Amino acid sequence: MSNPFEHRRPTELEDKAHAKAVRHFSEHLKQFPANRAAVERLERDADKITLAANQAASKPTPKENIVQADDGAQWHKSVDLMENIHFCHRPISCGAEYAVVEHFPARGMNEIWNRGWNAGEVLKSFTQGQRQALQVWTEDLTAQVKEFLVEKFPGQDLSRVADAFIYKCTTQAVSQKHELTQHHEQKHSRGVRI
Amino acid sequence: METVPQNNEPPSTPPVERLAYSIQEAADMLGVNYFSVYRLIQRGKLKPCRALRGKLLVPRTELVKLLTTE
Repeated sequence: MSNPFEHRRPTELEDKAHAKAVRHFSEHLKQFPANRAAVERLERDADKITLAANQAASKPTPKENIVQADDGAQWHKSVDLMENIHFCHRPISCGAEYAVVEHFPARGMNEIWNRGWNAGEVLKSFTQGQRQALQVWTEDLTAQVKEFLVEKFPGQDLSRVADAFIYKCTTQAVSQKHELTQHHEQKHSRGVRI
Repeated sequence: METVPQNNEPPSTPPVERLAYSIQEAADMLGVNYFSVYRLIQRGKLKPCRALRGKLLVPRTELVKLLTTE
């Protein structure tokens, strides 16, 4: 997808509508790039994460890093993947089983996303799910922006504004401030960091 | 003699319970960020419906089910 305003400058109305949409959907503009960057980090660091998880599985886990998941089993947190989402393992008779476990504050529970005996495959499957979730987000945001523009500027063709907005949201880099906040949160969270 | 205070306000109607919520509202209610809600949808843990222009809405029943299912 390219930025439609690169080929032809926006009209005054398009400029106004774009600015209004940016203000209205500012939270999406902040959260989407940050989460996209987090997924890209997982993809980029997949080998390192897999190695760290395998190494953690061969060492004893501190008591505070052991959690009970919704399957009733105890899982050992080894790598923090995203906010409240951990790569975990549990010892089994023939080695270790791996899982991605999400802590869900509203339910106070730890839910298993996916599990398996191959750490690399478990991580890959999780990362693919994240990509699909970003796609669901993009499609929904496109619909939301179009609805907003129709409501605020009835009778106007502002399809270029919607396209430019989605282009901005899905391609812009994470703001430095947000990245620093994330880095600070990661530094102070528990668990093994790579 | 005591007088009964006159209430000039119109009779209040009981608040209408919403049937569905936007992604933002669902995120606020669950105490999670937007991406978590989209992830729950992607995993099939929340089944959304679509409004006229394709915008996703989360039915109230789905939120209740998510919070009460063991």
